[in-house]
Amino acid sequence: MSKKTVRVSVSAVVILSALSWLMISTISEGAEYYLKVDEVMTAPQSWQGKRLQVHGHVLGDPLVKGSTLEYRFKVHSNGKVMDAVYTGVVPDTFKADAEVVIKGRIDANNVIHVEPKGIMAKCPSKYEAVPAAPTVR
Amino acid sequence: MASLGYFLILAAFVVASAAFATGVAGGRRGRSSLVHGSVGLFHVLTGLMLVASAIIVHAFVTEDYSIKYVQRYSDAAQPLFYKLTSYWGGLDGSLMFWVTLLAVFGSAAVHINRDRHRLLVPWVVAVISVVQMFFLFLMVVHNNPFETHLLAAPLEGKGLNPLLQNFYMVIHPPLLYLGFVGMTIPFAFCLAALISGQLDDSWLRAVRRWTMTSWLFLTVGLALGGLWAYEELGWGGYWGWDPVENAGLLPWFTATAFLHSVMVQERRGMLKVWNVSLVIMTFFLTIFGTFMTRSGIVQSVHAFGEDRELAWMFTVFMVAILTISFSLVIWRMPMLRARNELDSWASREAAFLANNWILLFSAFFVLFATMFPTISEALRGERLTVGPPFFDKWMLPIGLMLLVLTGIGPLLAWRKTAVSSMRYQLMWPLTSAVVTGVTMTALGVQFWAAGLCFSLCALVAGTIVQEFWRGSGVRQRATGTDRFTALIGLFARSRRRYAGYIVHLGIVLIFLGFGGNGFKLEEQVVLGPGQQVSVGPYVVKYSALKVTDDGQKQMITAHATVERDGASIGGMYPARWYFRDKEEEPTTEVAIRRGFADDLYIVLAAFDVGTQQSTLEVTVNPLINWMWFGFGIMAVGTILSLLPERAMAFATATVPQGAVTTSVLLLMLVGGMAAPAHAQHVDNPQVVLLVPRTPVEKKLRDEIVCMCGTCGRKRVGECTCGTADAMRTEIAGLVAAGRSYDEVVDYYVAKYGSQEVLASPIDKGFNRLAWFLPYAIGLIGVMVVGGVAVKWTRRPKEDGAAVVTAPADDAAATERQERLNDELRDLD
Repeated sequence: MSKKTVRVSVSAVVILSALSWLMISTISEGAEYYLKVDEVMTAPQSWQGKRLQVHGHVLGDPLVKGSTLEYRFKVHSNGKVMDAVYTGVVPDTFKADAEVVIKGRIDANNVIHVEPKGIMAKCPSKYEAVPAAPTVR
Repeated sequence: MASLGYFLILAAFVVASAAFATGVAGGRRGRSSLVHGSVGLFHVLTGLMLVASAIIVHAFVTEDYSIKYVQRYSDAAQPLFYKLTSYWGGLDGSLMFWVTLLAVFGSAAVHINRDRHRLLVPWVVAVISVVQMFFLFLMVVHNNPFETHLLAAPLEGKGLNPLLQNFYMVIHPPLLYLGFVGMTIPFAFCLAALISGQLDDSWLRAVRRWTMTSWLFLTVGLALGGLWAYEELGWGGYWGWDPVENAGLLPWFTATAFLHSVMVQERRGMLKVWNVSLVIMTFFLTIFGTFMTRSGIVQSVHAFGEDRELAWMFTVFMVAILTISFSLVIWRMPMLRARNELDSWASREAAFLANNWILLFSAFFVLFATMFPTISEALRGERLTVGPPFFDKWMLPIGLMLLVLTGIGPLLAWRKTAVSSMRYQLMWPLTSAVVTGVTMTALGVQFWAAGLCFSLCALVAGTIVQEFWRGSGVRQRATGTDRFTALIGLFARSRRRYAGYIVHLGIVLIFLGFGGNGFKLEEQVVLGPGQQVSVGPYVVKYSALKVTDDGQKQMITAHATVERDGASIGGMYPARWYFRDKEEEPTTEVAIRRGFADDLYIVLAAFDVGTQQSTLEVTVNPLINWMWFGFGIMAVGTILSLLPERAMAFATATVPQGAVTTSVLLLMLVGGMAAPAHAQHVDNPQVVLLVPRTPVEKKLRDEIVCMCGTCGRKRVGECTCGTADAMRTEIAGLVAAGRSYDEVVDYYVAKYGSQEVLASPIDKGFNRLAWFLPYAIGLIGVMVVGGVAVKWTRRPKEDGAAVVTAPADDAAATERQERLNDELRDLD
């Protein structure tokens, strides 16, 4: 191997490992656990205080207090239900039975406190998924 | 009809296999008859797909709900335009649309290059055919668009969500498809070059234009997606780092890298392995993006549902692509050796190399972060996700680094830049950057990252201006014309270079928009009548909440007046609409006031009709319009670079007399194209939609679209802006004056000089063509198939004649030569 090849490959390895290390170290700051409602609710204690993204369907109509924008609603999946509190603007498609992902942390009573702008409702897509039948009544 | 369609798909699969087989045989044995055969078979495939497409479009138009796909994605109430575009509305149809587009692109590419790249053509056909076979296979076994209801067909279609019946949503997906599908052509040429060993630069010349065209479609598609999100969804932003969006961005990064590094290979014969790899990766990422969003491998609310079977098929295909392509690269490594070595890091090629590394890293990073949930689940058993802040944190410095290279790269010389030349070249751009940076800091703008972004924008702008100025100066002295003509001549002479600078100028404007995003102001307030809120330079005075109904929907509208720096600038009317039978899904109607400095963006978040209170979300988005404008400039630059040589010939002609006039005209034309004067769309339901008095008037309201230019062509019967209201009044007046429907339509067509004002083309005269187009395309397909068949059946006769009479014309001579070659080869 020529001197040049060695130099190039050493610097490439150094740069790549530095970038990978940076990426992995920053990713743990920004990372959130992505779970379905039932996965959280089978052992809610272990998730308390962690940053979560919870995937489920809205159960019943979300209740809103006047024009305060404080929403109280329930999300469910596979027979488990979770209470949620959120203050702020909700997406157009946020309604009963909507498929949502909510971001936030759960408190000691297993109620999830959703972050501002933390509700993502399913995009009104033409590419419909298998319709998720509400299993809980 | 459905069974005919399915039969055509099956036939297309068989023909694609045959085209593949003859292509491989023709490529290996070099027999011209086999090569012609494979090309012919490929054209047949295109014909079959066009006929199949015509059948499905016909089914949509005639409301044939026995076909499941048609029933699911359309209904009788849809206007014709949306019925036609429902073709690519769902997965099954979009696969078919993909195959059809690829067939048309492939036929065009093969036809154009049939003589110039004789040795590549059979392999190109073989590669495209394999890709086609994969998608056709998916359609046959998994997603058949012609599937019918087994029992009695439903009488009604399900219809589309009203949010998607929108101008942007109609053109945004097919543009992205065009971009994605187009990337298959460079890949096919690349593999053909690898297999046949024709690895000089000729295959690069064949694919550069294809890549650039696909890149243009991809860019415009991405921009329109952002514009749709901004105007319709009402969250104040345009990009959310969603997997579906990222899927479109990944191949954009690698294609951009390729468009730059291809210049290094052309000029210096370096980076050959790199270019080949970029083309392969770009193609791979288009397939991967489709896989990511369609198979449910990435959990996202925007993905299209899980489908394990589809996921497996895609995985097998992708593994095959990577293994085969990179094995070929390794096999041909000795032929891909660089002609030159990198002489210095202060050279143009080094700048290109750096730009490529950064773009590739961006693609890698976005891919990694998008796939992170899947990766972490596989490695640690936990599904971890990363949000937009993580993407922003990484992409900000990456973007700024790219911007630095955009400014410095073009100023460096090939091989090695001398220090003196560097000083001469960099002085003005650097000065403008420093001056801007200092001014920004003095004005109190935070240096990281907004101030830095603006000063780097100044650097790139400085570079571009300097290049144009110095270049035109040199040409002016050489040709003795005025500077303006010299500028046009310069452009015409080295169009790739200067069109590239125009694209860079677009990038600068887009970065201005990004920089402005740092000064975004957001305010969420609950207001009662008479109360006000001030956000930045604006004061929003809320007056009332009104409920109106136009028969189609109930509209809750907040009325507000806006002042800027103390001066009243008019009313704004954010609203929520509740469509009949879709009441649980209201649509947010954002009120946007556009401006060069900023957009005022108001969303009605919640309301209470009883107390008349409204919750408004008021956002000020600084400089955002420069971003959309920048995308426009990028598109113009790319199109200029793609224009054929002849289009610019007048400017380089030797007679300079007429040149000045022509160039002024050209400039006016470009100016007119770039900045169409439009009235502002400002929602103004003050003048409530009156019920139309006559059926003719109602019909006209459904047919004429609002011409304010910013509402996305809503029908005047639906649009709530002042322009639409004026048009409604005008229509009412015309109808009252006794004009018929046709007369009013004619009046508007004459007034606006085109049928732009109509929701769908008039069903007569020339426009019958538009209605007739799907059928015509189908007919062309049939004719292509028939034509090839006739040609083939005739060939043996001609061959026989050639032997007997041996005509002396060139064509026959070439053919004889070829046959001689074939026979000699067979002897070997």
